Amino acid sequence: MLALVVDDSRAMRSILTRLLTGLGFDVAQAGDGAEALTVLDAGARPDVILVDWNMPVMDGLTFIKNVRAREDLRDISLMMVTTESEQNQIVRALAAGAHEYVIKPFTDEVIAEKLALLGLVAA
Amino acid sequence: MSAIDEFEEAREDLEALLIEVLGSVFSEEAMPVWDDALPPGPIVSSRLAIHDEVDDSYTMVEVRTSAIVARVLASRMLLTADPGPDDLLDAVGELGNIAGGNVKSLLRHSCRLSLPLAEMTDDAAAPDVDGVTVRAAVLGQVVELTVHLAGDIEGLTWPGSASEEVVETPA
Repeated sequence: MLALVVDDSRAMRSILTRLLTGLGFDVAQAGDGAEALTVLDAGARPDVILVDWNMPVMDGLTFIKNVRAREDLRDISLMMVTTESEQNQIVRALAAGAHEYVIKPFTDEVIAEKLALLGLVAA
Repeated sequence: MSAIDEFEEAREDLEALLIEVLGSVFSEEAMPVWDDALPPGPIVSSRLAIHDEVDDSYTMVEVRTSAIVARVLASRMLLTADPGPDDLLDAVGELGNIAGGNVKSLLRHSCRLSLPLAEMTDDAAAPDVDGVTVRAAVLGQVVELTVHLAGDIEGLTWPGSASEEVVETPA
């Protein structure tokens, strides 16, 4: 299985990559939404994308809207991983097409639990 | 209530917030401290702004700690034994981002968060601003969180959400 981690922080990408690798994923990375779209345009088809909200160039919400607008990307699961913790923000992300929402700081168990809810790892 | 009074009223919540964020990010117990200051020597800081579009005000959130703590954080986050200056800035930048998001939830709902700006300086003195500073210790070292009304947001950048447009799919 392939995961794409989209975050402008190298430290956060490193943490998520280590976590996902431990769960059996191959992991690709991108530093913002536009870069992630380039990865997808190059043919990558991750099973899940973990995307931050606040990033330069293209933020996570705009990225999710772009992914959801494309028929060829409809099977990809989207998980927002962000410091934005207000209810209205969660609603916006889910309405845009995010399947799961994780608030930073998170534990490994929370990410694994969300991946299990998406059917990507064993519960 | 003035913004300063509001920050002061939230002091205990800010202390709890800092301890929770440090405990989670470092996977270490963090303790509140009141009298301890940052040690002399290089300081790594992360600052970001929260913009309230209703009254066009900016609340600044600053996280500051010693380069010693920044080095441990970067080493753990990036899995490198010898993190470089950029690694320290990236790690403390993310720490500030997480703290800033939590401060926004606590004090400034429905506002916009800037991207963090991380810097390294030799100035251990607390920022001379009208606001509230809380401190916690992790790994035996002090980490400071300051919240104040911003007079200067120069150098800060904002998430790339200016265009909510969906990018045209390539043929």
